[in-house]
Amino acid sequence: MTNAAHRLLWTVVALLLVALGGTVLAVNLGRLPGGAGVLLDAGLRRPFRLAAPWGALALAVVGVLAALAGLWLLRAELGAARGRGYGTLAHPGRRGRTRLAAGALVRALERDLTGDPRIRRAHVVLTGTPPRPDLWIRVEVAAGTRTAGLREHVDSAVRRYADTMGCRPARLDVTAHVDSGPSR
Amino acid sequence: MRTANRLATLLLAAALLAGGALLAVEALLAAAGRRALLVDTAAWSAALGRTRWDDPIVRAAAVAALLLGLGILAAELRRWSPARLDAGGGWHLHRRSVERRLAAAAGSVPGVGRARVRVRRRGAGWRPRVVATGDPAASAEVAFAVRQELHRLAAPCTGRVEVRLLPRRRAP
Repeated sequence: MTNAAHRLLWTVVALLLVALGGTVLAVNLGRLPGGAGVLLDAGLRRPFRLAAPWGALALAVVGVLAALAGLWLLRAELGAARGRGYGTLAHPGRRGRTRLAAGALVRALERDLTGDPRIRRAHVVLTGTPPRPDLWIRVEVAAGTRTAGLREHVDSAVRRYADTMGCRPARLDVTAHVDSGPSR
Repeated sequence: MRTANRLATLLLAAALLAGGALLAVEALLAAAGRRALLVDTAAWSAALGRTRWDDPIVRAAAVAALLLGLGILAAELRRWSPARLDAGGGWHLHRRSVERRLAAAAGSVPGVGRARVRVRRRGAGWRPRVVATGDPAASAEVAFAVRQELHRLAAPCTGRVEVRLLPRRRAP
């Protein structure tokens, strides 16, 4: 799940909590009718008993839906944490869409990038459509390295890669993590 | 906040999964006329049947939910610091790692210790703010060291480097 999706989810949860808490507080303080009754009164129990066993079955369905929502959320969350994938290239055709896992394609670029000792680790993700794919690069830069010279290395590695692949990236996005340490 | 959101989502997912499964099983058992497994539904029903809407416990729970909701809402809607800093030309630097590196540069000035750096975006450039312990007279040296490090990182033109040096506490 993306950061924006998390933010949206928790904004909705917060709004639900505010609405619930505000309504119950208004009833409690007598600003809304019903403050004199009990939480689960006979008016609520009677229809549930009359509808037996359908009321309990409806509750079971609610429980299954909640459990499925939890499972979906868990898979989305764990998949995002684990899934440092390499992306997928997709090409629409006349009879559907061809999808290609980009793992094998990006490893060459990763090797080229880490050929420079200033880059400790590199991770490349390739997405989009083949002639003009999007290239997302994340490099871990060794302590004390000048990033000015590094940009040229990354740019030339990307140029070599594009020439070999016969494509031109529509978007190039590079994020560098710089190690803290003594400057060289 | 990003990590807190991920942890909270994991907790919410686990709670939904466990709670939903428990509710489904208990409801199916109730529908079949069997005894409940874990939840004493009769006791819960009796307790909810006794508790009035104007009870103090209900008010406390409502206030807690309201405050929790407002707290989460404020945390989610405020402006977050960006995870990475734009260095131009599709190139970005991870903000935390830049801050650590600038803190190391500030701490390398003799007599300066415990340096902490926050980098904020100001227009197209960055605005670093350094807080450290040391002689306030060394502010210019710290600013120079930070500026040099920013130059090494090829950072976009920066404005003033804000330095706050707190004198060290002397041992009694």
